[in-house]
Formats: sequence, C-alpha cells, structure tokens
Amino acid sequence: DILQWPQISKCRSPEMETFSCFWTAGNFYNLTVPRILQLLYKKSNEEDWKECPDYITSGQNSCYFNASYTSVWTPYCVQLASKNEVYDKKCFSVDEIVLPDPPVHLNWTLLNTSQTGIHGDIQVRWDPPPTADVRKGWITLEYELQYKEVNETKWKELKPRLSTMVPLYSLKTARDYEIRIRSRQRTSEKFGEFSEILYVSFSQIGIGCDHCTEEVEFPWFLVVVFGVCGLAVTVISIMLSKQPRLKMLIFPPVPVPKIKGIDPDLLKKGKLDEVNSILACHDSYKAQLYCDDLWVEFIELDIEDPEEKNRASDTDRLLSEDHLKSDSCLGTKDDDSGRASCCEPDIPETDFSASDTCDATSDSDQFKKATEKEEDLLCLERQDNDESLPNLASTDPQHQHRNIQSENSNVWAPFDGSIESPHLSVHTQISNQNSLTSTDFYAQVSDITPAGRVVLSPGQKSKLGRAQREGCTEQNFTMDNTYFCEADVKKCIAVTSHEENEPCVQEQGYNEDGYFTTESLTTTVANLGASTAAPPSSEMPVADYTSIHIVQSPQGLVLNATALPVPEKEFNVSCGYVSTDQLNKIMP
Amino acid sequence: MSAKGASLKGLLLMALLVSHMLLTKEGVTSLPICPKGSVNCQLSLEELFDRAVKLSHYIHFLSSEIFNEFEERYAQGRGFIAKAVNSCHTASLTTPEDKEQAQQIHHEDLLNLILGVLRSWNDPLIHLASEVQRIKEAPETILSKAVEIEEQNKRLLEGMEKIVGRVHSGEVENDIHTSWDGLPSLQLADEDSRLFAFYNLLHCLRRDSHKIDNYLKVLKCRLIHDNNC
Repeated sequence: DILQWPQISKCRSPEMETFSCFWTAGNFYNLTVPRILQLLYKKSNEEDWKECPDYITSGQNSCYFNASYTSVWTPYCVQLASKNEVYDKKCFSVDEIVLPDPPVHLNWTLLNTSQTGIHGDIQVRWDPPPTADVRKGWITLEYELQYKEVNETKWKELKPRLSTMVPLYSLKTARDYEIRIRSRQRTSEKFGEFSEILYVSFSQIGIGCDHCTEEVEFPWFLVVVFGVCGLAVTVISIMLSKQPRLKMLIFPPVPVPKIKGIDPDLLKKGKLDEVNSILACHDSYKAQLYCDDLWVEFIELDIEDPEEKNRASDTDRLLSEDHLKSDSCLGTKDDDSGRASCCEPDIPETDFSASDTCDATSDSDQFKKATEKEEDLLCLERQDNDESLPNLASTDPQHQHRNIQSENSNVWAPFDGSIESPHLSVHTQISNQNSLTSTDFYAQVSDITPAGRVVLSPGQKSKLGRAQREGCTEQNFTMDNTYFCEADVKKCIAVTSHEENEPCVQEQGYNEDGYFTTESLTTTVANLGASTAAPPSSEMPVADYTSIHIVQSPQGLVLNATALPVPEKEFNVSCGYVSTDQLNKIMP
Repeated sequence: MSAKGASLKGLLLMALLVSHMLLTKEGVTSLPICPKGSVNCQLSLEELFDRAVKLSHYIHFLSSEIFNEFEERYAQGRGFIAKAVNSCHTASLTTPEDKEQAQQIHHEDLLNLILGVLRSWNDPLIHLASEVQRIKEAPETILSKAVEIEEQNKRLLEGMEKIVGRVHSGEVENDIHTSWDGLPSLQLADEDSRLFAFYNLLHCLRRDSHKIDNYLKVLKCRLIHDNNC
C-alpha cells in the first residue's frame, strides 16, 4: 500500500458565515503509534497558531468554525499537524470557499398538456437552502436544474438562474422524470451539492396516457423515399418539358465553342454553298483562321502540281514566296473562299492581295475544288467590301496578266510596273492555268442574284468562257515568257471579243475570277498600241470606271487606262515591254 | 507604436466586450436612464440601488475574471499563492467582516465606507489599466478588462454619491479613503516582483469588489425591501 500522508481535503463555507475544514488521516495511522492530528489556524493579522475550536460538529476529521470565528474577507491559514509534524497547510479567505447547500422543498405543478395529451408542461419550484441568508441579501445564489427521463442516463441541464421556479416544457406524459437542482454563489464557479431528486409522474395526477406509449417517431424512412421520388419526378419532368425557359433555368446549357452565325451542323454536313456563303460574312474569321493553313496547303499543292513546277523557275518561286501568303489565301479550298482578303486585311486599296485572292480562287486546276461558290463568294465579298469596286479595278492589271495564259505581257507593264511583271507572271503561272478570263479595271455590278452571284453590267464585262481560253491557248502563248507581244494579245482578244457578257461567277470548274474580261485586255492593248483595231463595239475598250491605283512601290503603278494614249507610241516601239523609265515618263 | 496599436485594439475589444457583457448579463442598460443635466428627472432610490447593485456585481465579475486569467497566465509555478497573506491598501478602513457586523452598522456609515473604498480604488485602477499594458505579452482580455473595471468603478462612484446625497440626512462626512502607494511596485524592473505586485493588487481588487457588492445588497435589502429580499 502506498503511504498516504494526512492532508486537508477541503475547506468549505456554506453560507459565508461559518466554515469547516475536512481532512484525511492517511493510512500510516494504522501502521504506527496512533497519532492525534490537530488542525491549527491563524488569521493573517495574528501571530499564533490556534487550535480548531470544534472537531465534532462537522463530523469526523473535520473542524468547524462558527460565526464568531469567521471573518469573511480575512485571509486564513490552517494546517494539519500532530505534535511534531506539520502534514498539510492551506491558506484562503472565506469568501473564496463558499459552496452553498442544496435547495430544499422541490415540487412541481402541471401547467398544461398538449391537445393530444402526449406532452405536458410543468412548473418546478423550490426553496433556497435554509442556511443561506438570501433574504437579507448577505448571499446571492443562482440555481441550476437538471432533469431526465427515469430510464435515461444523461441529464439535461438548464441555464443557471436566480429565480426559484422554472417551467419545463414538452415533457412526455407517458414517461416519468427525475429532477435535481444545485446552487452556487452568484460570482463563483463551483456549485454546491445536488438536491434530492424530485420524481415527476403524470400518471399520478391521472393524465397519463397509457395507450400513447407508442411514440410517433418521425418517419424518416418514408420521408427520404418520398423525397427522392419526388425529386426524381421533378427532374425528369423538367428535362422532358417543352418549356425551354424552365429547362434553361434548371439546367443551364453548357456553352460550347461557337461562332456567331455559323451552325456547326452545317459545317459537318458539308454543304459548301451554304458554308461558303456564311463564311463570306466573316472576313476577320477567315483572316485569322486560314492564312497559315492556306500557306501550308498552298505549298503542298504547289509541289504536287507538275505543271506548276515546270513553269515556275526557282527565281519565280522565290519571288513568289512573298506572295505565296497572299496566294495561299487564294489557294483556297472550297470552303475557304475569301481567304485572300484575310491575309492582308489591312491593305484595302492595294489589292494585291485582293487580286491574288480572286486569282487564286478562280484559279488553277490545282484548286479544282474551287467552284462557282468560291467565285460567288469572292464576288460577294467584293460586294460586301467597300472596296469592292476599287478592288476590282486594282486587280485588273494583275488579273489581266493572269488571264493571258498566265503570262505577263509587256502590255501590262505600264499598269503594273515592269518590276511587277515578274510577280504577276509568277502569279499567273502559279495561279492560273489556261485561263483567259480578263476583266476590266472596273465592272459595274448591276445585280446580285438570289443565289449570291453577281451580275456585272453588260457593257463592261464579258466573261471569258472556255472558248476564250481555248482560243487563247490555241495561240500557243509561251507560258514561260514574262511578256508577250501585243499582237498576240490582240489576237487573243479578237478571238474573245465577241464573247458575250456573262455573269461574273458562273460555270462549274471555271477557275478564273469572273471579273476578268477580254475587254479589259482589249482596252489596254488598244490603248497601248494606239490601234483602234479593237474588238467590236460590244466591247468598247473604255471601261465605265477608270482609276489610278498605286500599288505598293515594288509592284509598280497601275495606270489609268485613259491616260494611256500618251505613251502609245513608245509602247509600240517595244514589243509588249515597257520599262520602268518609260512608265515613269508616262506618269504625270 | 505597438502600445498604441494595442491600446486601440484594447479599446475596440473593450467596446465589444462591454456590449457583450451588457447584453448577456443583467444589463445595466435595461434600467431607465435619467438624462444628464435634467433637473426634474428623479430616479427613485430603488432604481438607484438597483443600478448600483448591478454595477457592483459587474465590477466584481470582471475582477474575478481578470484575477483568474492573470493567475492562470502568470502565477503558475511562481508560488504566489503562498505569499498571498497580503494586506490590501484598504485594510485600514474598518469594514464589517461578517453578517452581524454588517447588519449592525448604520446604513449611513456603511454607505460612507463604501464610498471610501471606491474612492481608494480610483487611483490604483487608473494605474492598473496603464501598467498592465507593459506586462510582457499581456493578453488582450486582461487589458480590456482592466480598462473596463476602471471605467465602471467611476460610474459606481457617481451612483453612490447620488445615493448618499439622497440618504444622508445630516452633514456629509469627511471623505474617508486611503491612498495607494503601490505604483512603484508595479514598475519594478524585476519581472517576478512586478508580477507579484500585480497579483496582489488583483487579489485585493477581487476581494474589495466582493465586499462592496455584498454591502450594497445588504443595504438594498435593508432599505428598499425591508430585509425581505
């Protein structure tokens, strides 16, 4: 056994008027000679230790200090000692050790019962401990009530309160309850002992509900089942409902990548006509998306085509690199018409690109996919663009170049600048094959068909049909030459001059841009050569519109057709070749 | 700057604490308020005593808490308890030490004594609020409580002076209060000694606030409810 010394277990004052100290004797008492324990005390302002005045009143191993010995706010020290030894010591003041007695005279009364008789409210009353002088205000107590059902183990607590009565609500009349109360001094933390237990039994009063013993438990299972079913029904009904707004509210649609105005289904189904028409409306869209792709595609196509290889020299290819980009725009696949504008969207007037576009799309066998639709698109695009007419005009010289068997003639030099010619030749070589369509600088659009095709004014334009092409090809124009003689051109033109005007965008497999006309070709030739042996009146050379377009410097200048008569003589001199100097002379 | 920041925080915390206290405890705010300066407004003696008792109870509650917190934070292991056979500076005031004495003393004398004790604590509380901030890493709660106690003590003093003015029939007795000279001990360089000085002061504060609270309740029951609370 462990040796336990005597020690003071606690000192307690129930009412702040008396106090008692309790101690334990320990177990050595039995082992050795019995010793007598003493409790000595001392007030703070005293010197001597005094012995406990009363060992009996509080029971064994206790010391009781009555009111005469008690000073409330005076510090005390007590010590447990025998004759020789001090075993334990404690110092305190009485106001710190107040632990009230339990309340007495607990009782309860019924307040009311519920309609069903299953629950009832009661009021519990009690009296303060008799020792505590509450009436004179010497001590202020607060009470804590605890209750539980008889067969429960855990007590429910109420908040401490000053009053000596408390209502309890919603007790089950079928069950019996136990109530107990304890008190403490108001500013203390420790509670005194619990009072005796009060038993509450409704059956004693006669309102017990024996047959109500079955408690109506909350039907959790049913609630969950029905809740889930209801929710499922609601969700299904919402999903199936035709009300789009409701559906959107509950199930908001997940945004998918979408382009305004473009239906993804349309793209999938691949109706090129519609797709092209739609895409024509999105210049920027094309510009962003297709440049690089076109570039790549164009290169690939370029390689694949043996004709292209044959025609283009290395130099030309290199030169063309600069324009491949724009050309690549042209190298549009079927659904990518209008790429041309994409590549150089910031260059409105200098439609080098624009012309390229037209060219490219209208172009070579490589791009056999190019359909009427493309032409339509191009024409449409032109229509949509503000620059359409100027573009047309500006592209003319280039187109004209291309038209002529993809060979640049010297004739065109004044328009495009000699420097430009190789470009153009390259362009034409690359872009065009056997295409003889030519256009005026300008062509007046007289109408737009519902299908989206452009109808150009008849006087200005005649679209070259295959016949034209064939006619020109028969001439055996050398494709490799950058230039060709105007005589040849004249022939070509003459052949084609009788062609009637055709709508800009027409035939299937027609790769040329519809804006090319022999008439424009004729016009320039006539002007240059000062020869009036122009094509018939139906193709009066002078276009409705003429303009001077200044293309980017390396590419030369585009001259107004009407201004051409001046340099005619000079041009006559050389065979279809005009040098830059001559060109400069021409220009005012 | 940290002190200023701490004091700002302390004030804010105190404001929150006060509002919390007033709302959750027996709020003094529930009592009717007599606007300052109004001549005709006369609170009854009962109302005055009710307020005074509530204030004194609140002050004692704060004092208990601040003492407990301080003891928990700083006094553990320093053996302060053993040394707490102390004498408070108000020990010279002979106040009733038990119930008989409290019942036998004349209520005017008791009121004067209460006033004396409250006045004696004016000065120490001011210094407590300021010096406790210099304790190393003093918790905000201690700081805020110290400030709050000092403020409430002032209010209680005003209330008591009103009550004394009402109750006192004869001349107003001389102001009996004791001076406090414990400020140097709160500013000792040695941390242990300084903390012990704080401990004693807070211990005395708890005791004296309990005394005042008890006396006022006795007086209230005696004067207002005729010994039948």
